[in-house]
Amino acid sequence: MTNEFEAFARLERQLGRLLLIGLTTASALLSLGLAAQIAAPAGRASGTLLTMGLVTLMATPMLRVVASIVEYARMREWFFVLITLVVLAELTVSVVVALRR
Amino acid sequence: MLGHAIESDRQFLFNAFVITPHLIAAVMSAGVVAGMLGALLGLGGGVFLVPFLNLALGLPFKVAGAISLMTVVATSSAVSARTAGRNLINLRLGMLLEVASAAGGLVAALTLHLFPERMLYGLFALVTAVISGMMLTRLDRRNVLDARVDPGRLGGRYYDDESGREVVYRVKRLPIGMSVSWLAGYVSGALGIGGGILKVPTLNLWCGVPLRAAAATSGLMIGVTAVASIPIHYANGYILPGHAASAVLGVLLGSQAGFWFGDRARARWLKLLMACLLFSVSMLYLVKVRL
Repeated sequence: MTNEFEAFARLERQLGRLLLIGLTTASALLSLGLAAQIAAPAGRASGTLLTMGLVTLMATPMLRVVASIVEYARMREWFFVLITLVVLAELTVSVVVALRR
Repeated sequence: MLGHAIESDRQFLFNAFVITPHLIAAVMSAGVVAGMLGALLGLGGGVFLVPFLNLALGLPFKVAGAISLMTVVATSSAVSARTAGRNLINLRLGMLLEVASAAGGLVAALTLHLFPERMLYGLFALVTAVISGMMLTRLDRRNVLDARVDPGRLGGRYYDDESGREVVYRVKRLPIGMSVSWLAGYVSGALGIGGGILKVPTLNLWCGVPLRAAAATSGLMIGVTAVASIPIHYANGYILPGHAASAVLGVLLGSQAGFWFGDRARARWLKLLMACLLFSVSMLYLVKVRL
């Protein structure tokens, strides 16, 4: 029992680090985007940077969900693989609907 | 005064609310405050950010909500990164409840255009009144079992630094948990707040999860729920990139500072102050419903 928890905890910690990387990347892009907005408001660079930053930010929880699916698959907890897939499906629906507008 | 925008006109929104250095500073500062309050009170900064963006800066409510929702994602990821690997986050329970919560958020985003601003004001007034009430009467029930007990499929087991013991708990009353999660998701998508304020008490008081685990689990959940509705808000043009960026950066900074100051036990007077502030906000929005 304890081994399972330890393995899980380790995976979770790696995931935590991944989230931090995502946040740092997003922050950097957003900061650059704002700087570009001030320095060259007419240019398109700021818009692109800001969008990339926001998308990166949005991706972090999504990545979290995908990683959970993998975690549960590795632990052979098929019920929770299913549950997490459903959540991912809901998030995907949102993105698909958004892209179609 | 930045004027009032015609909601459905994306281009108008974009042009009417161009970001200036002053605005960046203003929104970022607001973000810092919201982030700090969020970290100190264990409550999302969204409830404070939305009124600021909407009332102080004159942004339409739906835009204010969408921007605030982006900061919720930032807060969630920051909190999840911090609480990762300590077995505090009950991933199983969290994901199960997320099925309901994300659904609620999705429905909110899809149906938002059906509701006039006045209805959102009313909902916001109600939710903030409930939140301020909860802040004043927050109970901290101990749901701790003997360490030899089997926590079951959904329960949890973690090592609590504070008490220096291993904590075990079982999960109960799942149907209530799912229903409230759906509602929390809906409120999150419609108002741009985290919804953790509904999730934490639900997990703690009804589902039998100890407070720290409930808070950690909720922290993860609010980000996933937010992402269920954000893409649609984005497509509707509600997310002004400059404002959103400033707010997110501010909140990230503020929450880091808030975590540093840490000591939540002494935040009692702060909680009281914020509860009163939030209640005033609630009354303000109640008035707006009638105007």
